[in-house]
Amino acid sequence: MKYVPKDIRDAPNPNVTPTHPLKELIVLLSGALGCIVGAYIVLGFLVDWVVPKISFETEEKMAALFAPLDLQRDGSTDVERRLQAMVDEIQDSCTHLPYTISVSVADEPMINAVALPGGRIVVFQGLLENVRSENEIAFILGHEMGHFANRDHLRGLGRGLVLLVVSTALFGADSSVSDLIADTITITEMSFSRAQETRADEYGLEVLNCSFGHVTGATDFFEKIPKESDPGRFGHYFSSHPENQRRIARLKRIAEEKKFPEGRRIPWEE
Amino acid sequence: MYDLLFLLGLIALGYISGTLIEKRHYRRIHEREKAFLSLPAVTVKSVDYPDEKIASAHLVTGSVVISIDYFKKFLAGLRMIFGGTVKSYETLIDRARREAVLRLKEDAGDADVIVNLRIETSSVGKNAHKKSVGSLEAVAYGTAIKLHPDA
Repeated sequence: MKYVPKDIRDAPNPNVTPTHPLKELIVLLSGALGCIVGAYIVLGFLVDWVVPKISFETEEKMAALFAPLDLQRDGSTDVERRLQAMVDEIQDSCTHLPYTISVSVADEPMINAVALPGGRIVVFQGLLENVRSENEIAFILGHEMGHFANRDHLRGLGRGLVLLVVSTALFGADSSVSDLIADTITITEMSFSRAQETRADEYGLEVLNCSFGHVTGATDFFEKIPKESDPGRFGHYFSSHPENQRRIARLKRIAEEKKFPEGRRIPWEE
Repeated sequence: MYDLLFLLGLIALGYISGTLIEKRHYRRIHEREKAFLSLPAVTVKSVDYPDEKIASAHLVTGSVVISIDYFKKFLAGLRMIFGGTVKSYETLIDRARREAVLRLKEDAGDADVIVNLRIETSSVGKNAHKKSVGSLEAVAYGTAIKLHPDA
């Protein structure tokens, strides 16, 4: 057998694909980006689809994953007990939501309150300092309970919710995967749409009328927010000034339409 | 954010330096392969020369370790999502194998033929740090045979 040396000078190398590496990079990157964008869009649609399907038990389980504020401390303060009593009364006589609602106060300067998964309402200290009547507080609690009634608090978690539901179903709530996903969801940055806020406002108005027999004080809180304040501190009670005016006008119109009576304010003292 | 910029920097650096080094390496491989064209290295286990014609037979080896760069690793990582041929590693393995054979031929000195050539590859330094960029080792070994000059 005669040995024939392989002439390698101009022959193409069959072991190396002649694709330019940058072309490969662009193809792969656009593929990956396409997948991410696709998943983002699909998740957006899935949020509204999945929210009504989340059972209250699942929500309870997921709620354990959110402890962004110091809510696990022992006992409750006088203010918390007072707020809790108000909520319990509203629940008993007016709303009957399928949640065990618990109220806690977070020592933050934000003038805001949030509805968390699992039926927890967190009222920030900043809000309590700016409140003058029980009626105002009742409206705010009613507004938050409206978010529970419409399950906005789950929708507000955004696209991460879908992933969280899937991972809770697959791995349980105390798995590291669920933890990881919950970490990416910032509770205090929950966003509600204008329509969701409006519905919650209406709910709060009904609650106020049901528990006090009149709706005086419903718009107090919106009206006292000073124009020059940093809107960020006011959370979803104050997105922008014109929006706020619109909400006041709407509440007044509904009160007129439904012939909700006026009454006397019960002062709130801490 | 800075982590991401750092990573992008490493990928860009990997692309630029990796491409330059690869081009230079291929140039040297081509030159030396041409020079060694007259020394066959074949995979047959024996040659049909009578024993008295063979002056000597000894083991020759050639080995090389080539590092991958972050650009290649990044491309391979993206490939992992979709599947398919990992093109970014092809040149790496091709270079390592050919370089190993060239070093084996350099090791063979004035031999007339290298038989029973075997090439093996393995990864080096991959387990030390899981996130580190691994290296590829190629080893070529065979039997260098020298014939009597009057054969």
